[in-house]
Amino acid sequence: MNPNAFLQIHHVSKTFPGVKALQDIDLEVQRGEIHALIGENGAGKSTLIKILSGVYQPDPGAEIVIEGKKCNQLTPLVALKKGIVVIYQDFSLFPNESVAENIAITTDIEKGTKFLSWKKIRSSAKSALERLGVELDLDAPLGSLSVAKQQLVAIARALTFDAKLLIMDEPTSALSKSEVEQLFAIMRNLRDSGISILFVSHKLDELMAISDRFTVLRDGKYLGTFNGDELDNDILISLMVGRKIEYTIYPKRDCRGAGKVLELKDFNKSGNFKDVSFHLYKGEILGITGLVGAGRTEVLKAIYGINPQDSGQLYLEGNKITVRSAEDAVRHGIAYMPENRLSEGLVLRKTMAENISVTVVDKLATRSGLVDRNRQSELVTKWIQELNIKPPYPDMLASKLSGGNQQRVVLAKWLASNPKVLLVDEPTNGIDVGAKTEIHKLLRDLAESGISIILVSSELPEILAIADRILVMRRGRIVGEFNGENATQEEIMNKAILGGKQPVKA
Amino acid sequence: MKVPQRLKQSREFGIFLILLAVCIIVTVAAPSFFSIENLFDILKGNVVLAIMAIGMLPVILTGGIDVSVGSMVAAITIIVGNFLMKGSDNILLAFVVGCLSGAFLGLINGLLIAKLKIPPIVATLGMMSIISGISLYYTNGNWITGLPKNFIDFGRTTLGSFYQQGDEMIGLPVQLVFLVFVAVLSWFILRHTLVGRGIYAIGGNRVSAERVGYSVDNITVFLYAYEGFVVGLAGAVHTSIMRQVDPNAFNGFEMQVISAVVLGGASTLGGYGSVIGTLIGVALFAVINNGLILMHIPTFWQKIVVGIVLIASISFDVTQKKYWESHNTKVDIEEA
Repeated sequence: MNPNAFLQIHHVSKTFPGVKALQDIDLEVQRGEIHALIGENGAGKSTLIKILSGVYQPDPGAEIVIEGKKCNQLTPLVALKKGIVVIYQDFSLFPNESVAENIAITTDIEKGTKFLSWKKIRSSAKSALERLGVELDLDAPLGSLSVAKQQLVAIARALTFDAKLLIMDEPTSALSKSEVEQLFAIMRNLRDSGISILFVSHKLDELMAISDRFTVLRDGKYLGTFNGDELDNDILISLMVGRKIEYTIYPKRDCRGAGKVLELKDFNKSGNFKDVSFHLYKGEILGITGLVGAGRTEVLKAIYGINPQDSGQLYLEGNKITVRSAEDAVRHGIAYMPENRLSEGLVLRKTMAENISVTVVDKLATRSGLVDRNRQSELVTKWIQELNIKPPYPDMLASKLSGGNQQRVVLAKWLASNPKVLLVDEPTNGIDVGAKTEIHKLLRDLAESGISIILVSSELPEILAIADRILVMRRGRIVGEFNGENATQEEIMNKAILGGKQPVKA
Repeated sequence: MKVPQRLKQSREFGIFLILLAVCIIVTVAAPSFFSIENLFDILKGNVVLAIMAIGMLPVILTGGIDVSVGSMVAAITIIVGNFLMKGSDNILLAFVVGCLSGAFLGLINGLLIAKLKIPPIVATLGMMSIISGISLYYTNGNWITGLPKNFIDFGRTTLGSFYQQGDEMIGLPVQLVFLVFVAVLSWFILRHTLVGRGIYAIGGNRVSAERVGYSVDNITVFLYAYEGFVVGLAGAVHTSIMRQVDPNAFNGFEMQVISAVVLGGASTLGGYGSVIGTLIGVALFAVINNGLILMHIPTFWQKIVVGIVLIASISFDVTQKKYWESHNTKVDIEEA
């Protein structure tokens, strides 16, 4: 046992129904070090954080040692008592309360103090801020502060817990450059006072600047822990990517001859995306990839009218169209399959038939305005067969279907409306490999039949398997375009992480 | 006059300015408004509304609502009236009975909402129907009159002497004591106890409130029971003012209570509002009503004006929230 280690974990695995999120992870965090946890989207970083903070329980056989003591069951409360504090991306703060209260009230909650002393709350908030070396107005309502200052409040709150390990999830994602500098100075101070920091970020340059050691995860597996001086950007990227592609690779087509179906010209929306322009050709699958938070979903939602752009024009088959709502989009033949199919794409408490026919209800109406049941069931049966939805019972509640089949119902719902353009966001998130391959085949078949598809996916192997052309987004902009036939994971990841800063190695 | 920056920015201050403006307009239009007799009338006529609004405040602070308070206070007056007629003429006991029955009804609301997870509007709508049904069954709509003399005398008690009416010196109505009591108690709970801060936390961000360890369910049960307790007190106070019981006196009263709280700057989305603000809201509500009467403007205008002010203040909250949500930075755009 390393006496200098604050936290050691061995053989940590986590299985969700159908998915092995983590397999046999080892991790050691020293006292007073800044330790970076890196990996692609879906590599298992969030799952690991949730295990360390006690939100998830690992599969049996895992060993978690904190300050030399074995910890049999790590619950959120135990984790907190041991000094493991997570600062989530949303900070878990209260906009309507003062800075002082946000920082210090949690100690009273923990102790169960019935009657509060505002004097004590203020003084303990003040001393936490002093430890950070930050000055903030204790009485200002939190909601009036910038994101960077709210983050400082969240860190100060963690200190009132006597934090020994701070886990920070993407702490720099909403900060400006000078704010990041300030945050890093504070992180170094904390480290020098003996606090360990586990730091998750996608921004490699920042990681290189601040981290003492790196642990790399890939595909839910532990790849190793490295010292900062052993690594550079290239090595890190090659460690992160390189997942085995276990999908069928489809032959790519050059659709440029087939004519433009959709064109985005100078799409801008503050805080969402900037200068986004591209074409989509008939029968093409255009993959858009990049890291989470790069603005991909925001662009899709803009095209679909539910997150309208501040400026920019949209052309459909050469004609300028205005889409300011989902209704506009549907009228123009644009369909959207959202990332979270359960919350956004399906009415779970309705039957499969009702879900499939919802987009075309007006076309199924009889002259009296009622739904023609015969035509409805004809349509539903057709799509159930076409997409091979199992079990093939139109009256089954959507909530009873498996994930992959729910996805297909959403797809059927949109295909029933005969779309020209299909926008698909992370279609295979959280479903098993078999179902994934089937969805891939489906999307390819649709493209062959002439539908143009924009596919947003974080999973590079998926993009490489089915996309004819690939766009890479980084921090709100399009930073690269690749031909689906001969792009590599390294090239794409390089663009996604570093943008235009480094030449792409061909 | 120097006003501190923070006070100037507070919602309460803005509403207070509106109240002043309305008072000035009404005084100009109907000088009899600014007489001590009229102001005392306003006070006595709205003390019950004020007590109930303060009781409603914590509910609104968590983003909840209670539409059963009208039927609840009516039921309490019936209970208190019957207790005085058939039980005991002890004034203190009558108030205790009122408070406890109110707390009991509120507790049911709280349990339905916190434990069975029924949305507040549905749970309290159901309770409203049940309570008013039982009240009607029990009273047949008949008034209770002829309450014990000591209780009637108590209701007439005044504090101090301010002006002469006939050969009687008029002072502040005794009922004001209960309002002060409820206001101070509620202020103390909301400001100086963990439960009170939990109420604000739930309204500010429910998920975070759970995450930092507030027991959201228990707090919810408490605040509805506390509201019931306050409504119970209001029922007893009302009986002491009217010196009789009219089972139909509170039809639609819940809307007045909710309106007053919202006029006082509480956000229906939760998280914002204060006892002081609520008192100012009640005053604004009362002055608008009284002013329109003094100016001989038909009473339906009161409802229309209050409705307009209400919708305006709620739309302000909602549009502001929408604006912030849609302008939230989702992507950190790199400046080229």
